[in-house]
Amino acid sequence: MGCSSSLPDRNNGRLGVLSSENSGVADSKNLRVKLVLLGDSGVGKSCIVLRFVRGQFDPTSKVTVGASFLSQTIALQDSTTIKFEIWDTAGQERYAALAPLYYRGAAVAVVVYDITSPDSFNKAQYWVKELQKHGSPDIVMALVGNKADLQNNREVPVQDAVEYAEKNGMFFIETSAKTADNINELFEEIAKRLPRVSSS
Amino acid sequence: MDFTSSSSSSLTFTDFLDRMRHPASVDLVRSIKSFIVSFSFHSANSENDSKRLQDFLLAMETTIKDHPLWAGASWEEIDNAIEGLEKYVMTKLFSRTFACSPEDAKSDQEISEKIFLLQHFVRPEHLDIPAVYQNESAWLIAEKELQKINAFKAPREKLLCILNCCRVINNLLLNVSISTNHVPAGADDFLPVLIYITIKANPPQLHSNLKFIQLFRQQSKVISEAAYYLTNLISVESFINGLDANSLSMDANEFQEKMQAARLAKAAQVAPRNISTPRDPQPVYCDKEIHMGGRHYPFMEAEAGKLTVEDVHKLLSVYKDVVNKYSVLCQAVRGLSLNKEKLPVALRGDLCDCILEHPRADCNPAEQDVVEVEGTKEKEKETVSAGLL
Repeated sequence: MGCSSSLPDRNNGRLGVLSSENSGVADSKNLRVKLVLLGDSGVGKSCIVLRFVRGQFDPTSKVTVGASFLSQTIALQDSTTIKFEIWDTAGQERYAALAPLYYRGAAVAVVVYDITSPDSFNKAQYWVKELQKHGSPDIVMALVGNKADLQNNREVPVQDAVEYAEKNGMFFIETSAKTADNINELFEEIAKRLPRVSSS
Repeated sequence: MDFTSSSSSSLTFTDFLDRMRHPASVDLVRSIKSFIVSFSFHSANSENDSKRLQDFLLAMETTIKDHPLWAGASWEEIDNAIEGLEKYVMTKLFSRTFACSPEDAKSDQEISEKIFLLQHFVRPEHLDIPAVYQNESAWLIAEKELQKINAFKAPREKLLCILNCCRVINNLLLNVSISTNHVPAGADDFLPVLIYITIKANPPQLHSNLKFIQLFRQQSKVISEAAYYLTNLISVESFINGLDANSLSMDANEFQEKMQAARLAKAAQVAPRNISTPRDPQPVYCDKEIHMGGRHYPFMEAEAGKLTVEDVHKLLSVYKDVVNKYSVLCQAVRGLSLNKEKLPVALRGDLCDCILEHPRADCNPAEQDVVEVEGTKEKEKETVSAGLL
């Protein structure tokens, strides 16, 4: 399992949390977005998020480092900010039935698989079907092939994932939490696809 | 995050009460009073009650923002007032709104009994919790946090117990990942630990507490991290309710046997009360529960010289099984009356004598935990001023 370099900084976070966070007020310039992560255990869900949160680190950002819940605010070019509240889910088979409790009300679902594991790709397709059946109808879905640095062990062809994503109206990207490849791109693309209250 | 301010909560609540005693807040006090009284005009219904409370809190937020007593107040001060209001009102309405339906009571009892059985045999390995996370002292702190949940009546404080428990677990996971260079822990690691902690803690009235928080905590506060950890405990409740042989890393037959043995141990703990009266000499569980066979003991005919190293694993597992059953049996027999004539034939003779000679202390280690859990139950710490309204 590989995201050896993305350990969180021990001093990172919690103390600097601003009180305005409690207000829960989201206006058209400051969106609060619930993002749920789904995928088999071991595909690197939490590594992707930690890489995202760490990579964006700057002293003024409000970063919460937990083990399974993280939030990160990004600023877009139109001066909108988006606070991603990232809900990780347990990927083990025995917890599959609990997932609806987590993705209820989510605006974004990121479904992750490991490009070296066809099983995890099958599992990802299972989650996509689940979300189509039970998720909110306007949920933004992203399909993410992680561990792209392990090209030599690739077992899930890019083309398969591209086709699958197209067929299901999803955004697809391959990432490496280890090298940070495409991590920011993933979240930026999600931000672009979010439905906005138009501020004209 | 909301739960960083737990230590100051009593201060802010006192502050809220002080403001309510101020002559200028007489109109607010009247609204609060009539809101509380209005509940007595309707029969208890959790969904309706929840909606009325949520609407009331929203309306009062607007009122307070415009109120002269809060003129120029900061966002925090307004927030404290709403928090104080929620705590005050929900403490007053507690007996009406908490665990108020027979269904809630039933759900509470069912999950508590199931957890009680699971406590007898579920180990971290059954949930594939890596050994690096098995930290007894941290786990104990997390359990205690969860067990405090009934020490409070206000939804915010009940929620805090859950968040504190989760935070202890998080810190443990984070520290382990840093100190061992382990892959950073996510929900794959967090959820199993929370499940295990919940089984160990068997928090009182779990179902009713979760429902109460969902219905009566201000909706604008059940967001973000608080919502995430509350959802985790709700999913733990759901997992435990549905827990069967497939939910654990354990052989299905073994699971059934362990559950059966735990039921027997439970019956034995209840038994002294049942059979203390001479009119009730035949405990009903006696015949149906004691034969718990079904498992082979393949080495009964074996000779020592023919055993191989490979047999050790199996032998050990059979040995543990026998010892477990023996301990349970000890207790069951002691729970029955100690009159040999009334025991099933299979239990008479050597086994029975042996049991009678045994000191009591060796029996069931789980018993101690249970006593402790019950000791913390219903500890009431609320200090809501009775003289306000």
